Amino acid sequence: MANQLVEVADDQGNLTGKQTIESAMSYQDLNAMINLWGPNQKLQLEKDKLAVRKYFLDHVNQNTVFFHSLEERLDYLVENEYYEKEVLDQYSFSFIEQLEKLAYSKKFRFEAFMGAYKFYTGYALKTFDGTRYLERFEDRVVMVALTLAAGDESMATNLVEEIISGRFQPATPTFLNCGKKQRGEFVSCFLLRIEDNMESIARGINSALQLSKRGGGVALSLSNVREYGAPIKKIEGQSSGIIPVMKLLEDSFSYANQLGARQGAGAVYLNAHHPDIMRFLDTKRENADEKIRIKTLSIGVVVPDITLELAKNGEDMYLFSPYDVEKVYGVPFGDISVTEKYSEMVDDPRIRKSKIKARELFERIAELQFESGYPYVMYEDTVNAANPIQGRINMSNLCSEILQVNTPTTYNADLSYDDIGKDISCNLGSMNIAMAMDGGDIALTVETSIRALTAVSDMSNIESVRSISDGNHKSHAIGLGQMNLHGYLAREKVHYGSEESIDFTNIYFYTVVYHAIKASNQIAIERKSYFHNFENSKYASGEFFDKYTDQVWAPTTEKAKELFAKASVAIPTQEDWKALKASVMKHGIYNQNLQAVPPTGSISYINNSTSSIHPIASRVEVRKEGKLGRVYYPAPFLSEETWEYYEDAYEVGPDKIIDVYAAATQHVDQGLSLTLFFKDTATTRDVNRAQIYAWKKGIKTIYYIRIRQAALEGTEVENCVSCML
Amino acid sequence: MATKLITRPINWNKIEDSVDLDVWNRLTQNFWMPEKVPISNDVQSWENLRPHEQKLTMHVFTGLTMLDTIQGTVGSMSLMPDARTPHEEAVITNIAFMESVHAKSYSSVFSTLCSTNDIDEAFRWSEDNPYLQKKAEIILGYYRGDDPLKRKVASTLLESFLFYSGFYLPMYWSSRAKLTNTADLIRLIIRDEAIHGYYIGYKFQLGYNESSTSRQEELKSYTYDLLLELYENEVKYTADLYDEIGLTHDVKQFLHYNGNKALMNLGFDPLFPKDDCQVSPAILSALSPASDENHDFFSGSGSSYVIGKHEATTDDDWNF
Repeated sequence: MANQLVEVADDQGNLTGKQTIESAMSYQDLNAMINLWGPNQKLQLEKDKLAVRKYFLDHVNQNTVFFHSLEERLDYLVENEYYEKEVLDQYSFSFIEQLEKLAYSKKFRFEAFMGAYKFYTGYALKTFDGTRYLERFEDRVVMVALTLAAGDESMATNLVEEIISGRFQPATPTFLNCGKKQRGEFVSCFLLRIEDNMESIARGINSALQLSKRGGGVALSLSNVREYGAPIKKIEGQSSGIIPVMKLLEDSFSYANQLGARQGAGAVYLNAHHPDIMRFLDTKRENADEKIRIKTLSIGVVVPDITLELAKNGEDMYLFSPYDVEKVYGVPFGDISVTEKYSEMVDDPRIRKSKIKARELFERIAELQFESGYPYVMYEDTVNAANPIQGRINMSNLCSEILQVNTPTTYNADLSYDDIGKDISCNLGSMNIAMAMDGGDIALTVETSIRALTAVSDMSNIESVRSISDGNHKSHAIGLGQMNLHGYLAREKVHYGSEESIDFTNIYFYTVVYHAIKASNQIAIERKSYFHNFENSKYASGEFFDKYTDQVWAPTTEKAKELFAKASVAIPTQEDWKALKASVMKHGIYNQNLQAVPPTGSISYINNSTSSIHPIASRVEVRKEGKLGRVYYPAPFLSEETWEYYEDAYEVGPDKIIDVYAAATQHVDQGLSLTLFFKDTATTRDVNRAQIYAWKKGIKTIYYIRIRQAALEGTEVENCVSCML
Repeated sequence: MATKLITRPINWNKIEDSVDLDVWNRLTQNFWMPEKVPISNDVQSWENLRPHEQKLTMHVFTGLTMLDTIQGTVGSMSLMPDARTPHEEAVITNIAFMESVHAKSYSSVFSTLCSTNDIDEAFRWSEDNPYLQKKAEIILGYYRGDDPLKRKVASTLLESFLFYSGFYLPMYWSSRAKLTNTADLIRLIIRDEAIHGYYIGYKFQLGYNESSTSRQEELKSYTYDLLLELYENEVKYTADLYDEIGLTHDVKQFLHYNGNKALMNLGFDPLFPKDDCQVSPAILSALSPASDENHDFFSGSGSSYVIGKHEATTDDDWNF
């Protein structure tokens, strides 16, 4: 095999020498080598750096359009309709030049092949024929900053600083689309109600198509739709229930892919007390009939406290016809609290009902989670108790971290709007905990992030779905997330799930929520405006602040104290909170919702982070995606030294994950995507116990359940790192 | 064929060989149906393959269908009379059934991605291709023979060796981000075949160890002879398929690797030197039968969920 000399760079990207590698080794092969033990059973992490290098040499550099100057580049990109002229026109050329210089001066390098590959495959601007790159990472960051700052030079500068240093990373649709002339929306996440009538169902499907076309993930609530066999126009046994609606939605999502980039994605939520609940779950069965089998639509169950109470007592649980409930109470099923009205509804003869064993429901849920990872679970009463906003939360989204109030929309006979209700959209972005701590100025990082997300909300206008655009204009809801918790903890030699890690997580999120509210308050003061219905929120009444003004929040372990001290990150005091409370009660806050912790897939690779605040799935993660194929991603900061602090999620186990999430949850107004990981020795009972524990600890939602099946002894691939347990 | 009628009812509470139970549990846990994988998500990717790449893929899959057909209808069944325990019989029925599921799943790939004309062409090709026919002939010959241990050898070589010239291609495509959902399906098949090969090889070793030295010698040389006979044909088959896209060399390395693996399953020493087993890392890494891959909801179903063990909760669990 012929050999080739390539330059080798160290962690900082400096060239350190030359190394011979087989020229036949493609970058895919080099990358895959990190999943195989090298000689002496050592991890071959350096192969991944070589893969990055080789990727640039063999692919990126050869396929990047070269420009002599920035001026030439921008002129070309604007003339040929690649960049949006309006974005650039808000600034002087010399400022843009200065900003580009600043970005390039940071000497950004991709740490992992996965990050580079992901960026160039999915984010960098390409020529229309898709063959050549028109942007490097720095150029993308600058365009994002210029777009979101909308002419504000100091904000643009702050944004470049925060993004290129990795402290803040906008979510995919924002990072991907900003500044591009041919682009999708900046917002990716939508939640729609469906009411119990054909107009609303059809509108829901139409909206799902429109939003998928624009790149969004869409969740729909089906709790209000009447059940199988319910009467239509008083004729009994007519309705075909929710399954056909799910089928229609699933097909709609497969049809609307974004310019072929990826399939639309959707989720549906159903209340546990909806009569179709068992049918709903069975759509995910391995041996389900093709007619009712749901493959690509995600499902979630809304579980009120009463369901757990009934299961605790080993009782039956009643399921209530949404059709009758709406007739009796005058509001859709999803808008009443089942917990509160349970005995009343049981005793009401006007409401038709059926019953199942409550424990069987939980067991069925767990069985399906083994088979398919679904359903998601939302603890409805926990969510509503923690909600500072007036109204009811009855569903979540595709990643189960968005939790906002909604109201129904009604239609006229000609299908036009009668009363436009409020549906939900949310734009997200995440901070990298390690980089944010290293940066030292968390106040600035959070403020810049909140302003960036607010800008996205301001610029977003989904005209095709009025309930969404109206909702957005009223609420300015955003979701600031966090990622790289495990990466940070491992680097600082703290075990995930240990007392120190829980202590750190608690105080970190406590610090973030303070700065997030402060930033939103600052925006409200500047704009002399706050979100719709602020007056009736727990922010306005001051009630929200009680837990912060009445008690001291500070790290209790030496290690956590040391971490904050080392990073010189100030922890807000009770006095700080009292001042903030007064200012909020006086001026309001601009954003109805501020935080939500998403699962962070793609962006955490680019940002070289561990996903969200989860433990890692594997020290070397095997990642499969439609556009990428199979790629291997080593945990950030992975080394012989940090090895033992990188226990994977299956080793860490559900209880510790729940403990860490519980610490964060108390400071997050919306939700956190929480995946639970089990070894294949677990049974449905273990899953149920984890669900009960999560609920007890105040967890709001549970996202996927993942099961790891180890290869049967004797069938493993020799030397495979990810097979190692 | 000597048939031994076992008339006692199978008692799963009395396990004679714990491997039977382990493998049974694993196989049932791994149960899957082709409908689980959204192959239609690959339609676009399929359209982007060049015509000769499409043709190659179809030929490879028809070849695999052929092997699974043999294994499902003749191969696994021929092992039945020699089962050492009733539980082994039960495992073999499962293996036979899953082989038929595999054979069917290639058809579902075809029907989703290709036109009827193309499918008919590919099946015609499988009937006319001398190397594929030869392969079938060799294996079928041994399945019809009257030596139970030799049948196990033939079966293990089929499960652990012959399939892999075909498995190479979908793994290769998926490392290039093509036909990734099809690759998921193939990985489910690999997950099964890895266990089948391991299990049949294990049962072979039990019989082998009880045999006289001369009989052992006979079996050993028989195994190497058969492997070489198959190998010689497999090399030609590989060249016939892969020359056009220039992957023959890589696939051969992969054949060596799996040939050694098959020998290992039978308890024999490797035949091919390590230097000739330099499988491309991207393929090797993709082979892992452990379900450790991380996928997102935009990308299909993945190949990592299992049928769970049901266990009711107790009052203590609900103590809150």
